[in-house]
Amino acid sequence: MAVRDDRRSSEKKKSDDLQIVNVENLQNNMKSIYLSRTFLSIIGGVVAGIWGFTGLMGFVFYFAVMAVASVGFAAKAKFSPGAYFDSWNRIVFDGFLGGLMSFVLFWTFAYDLVHIF
Amino acid sequence: MAEDLVLDTAIRDWVLIPLSVVMVLIGVLRYFVSKLMRSSQLPDAKALKEGQVIIRARNLKSGANFIPSKSFRARRVYFTNEENGLLYVPKDQAQNAQAQMFSDPNMAMDMMKKNLSMLIPQSLTFAWVNFFFSGFVAAKIPFPLTQRFRAMLQNGIDLSTVDVSYVSSRSWYFLNLFGLRGLFSLILGEENAMDDTQRMMQMGGFGFDAARSLAVEKDSLDIIQHDWALPKMEQRAEEVLRKLLR
Repeated sequence: MAVRDDRRSSEKKKSDDLQIVNVENLQNNMKSIYLSRTFLSIIGGVVAGIWGFTGLMGFVFYFAVMAVASVGFAAKAKFSPGAYFDSWNRIVFDGFLGGLMSFVLFWTFAYDLVHIF
Repeated sequence: MAEDLVLDTAIRDWVLIPLSVVMVLIGVLRYFVSKLMRSSQLPDAKALKEGQVIIRARNLKSGANFIPSKSFRARRVYFTNEENGLLYVPKDQAQNAQAQMFSDPNMAMDMMKKNLSMLIPQSLTFAWVNFFFSGFVAAKIPFPLTQRFRAMLQNGIDLSTVDVSYVSSRSWYFLNLFGLRGLFSLILGEENAMDDTQRMMQMGGFGFDAARSLAVEKDSLDIIQHDWALPKMEQRAEEVLRKLLR
């Protein structure tokens, strides 16, 4: 993740809460979040399939993984996402449902390979 | 729920796994083919210039509050005055540019190529799946669904007694088609085929509307309320420097 340069961050503390965000860095950060979420949803799908979750349990697992990912992103941003994003929503909610399709696919795949046949 | 079906392991070895692997490989192949076919024509100098002007105007708009109002006004005049401002496009010239764009056959050709490279592999794969794997119950979704999904998930087997969570091979193909998008964005980088078409559409729209987007930028520059964000910057800088000296 790219940090804004120092001059700007010190500026922000003094001036009355003016949002100054470098758009390119913001997009880069959002992209890395999107990729991590996709990766996690695929891995989570495989894990859920191997552990043999069925029904609601699998979706609960997906949301648990995504929630953990959100906490992880917040920790990575040192709990001050203002330095990396323009709002908390970017970390907590963005792309929450985006990986669901991949998750279902890999969940089904792994579950079938391990448990059905 | 009804009693479980027993699926042959041969279905797993010869239908489920090959189908998924082939879908992934075809996605990769399509990416590289479309990369090869992307013609690298020289960008039109005028269009490029207009695009750069628009970007500069946007930069000015977003950074307006960080320069003194006098400098801002000078820049605004530079962009928007009615005689030789960069964003000002005479009426007849705008018309001309649009007509020129329409008559350019290269753009239509490019779009055609893109569409074909999307469409051909997809229909070929679908035909292939239909031919080899029609009528298999290939997989079982690990969560229950209502009867509504029968048409979607059991495309190709006409048995109303089978539990809905069993998936036919043809529907497994569709599931793959939608679900693998995330995987592709991981292994091929951001710019996979889906994003490509979107970007192409944007580019096309951009080319057609160059005159109009110039006018839009001009209007939004005109109505900006300038409000300098750093009026006491010099004093603050002096403070900081003095503190450093001490």
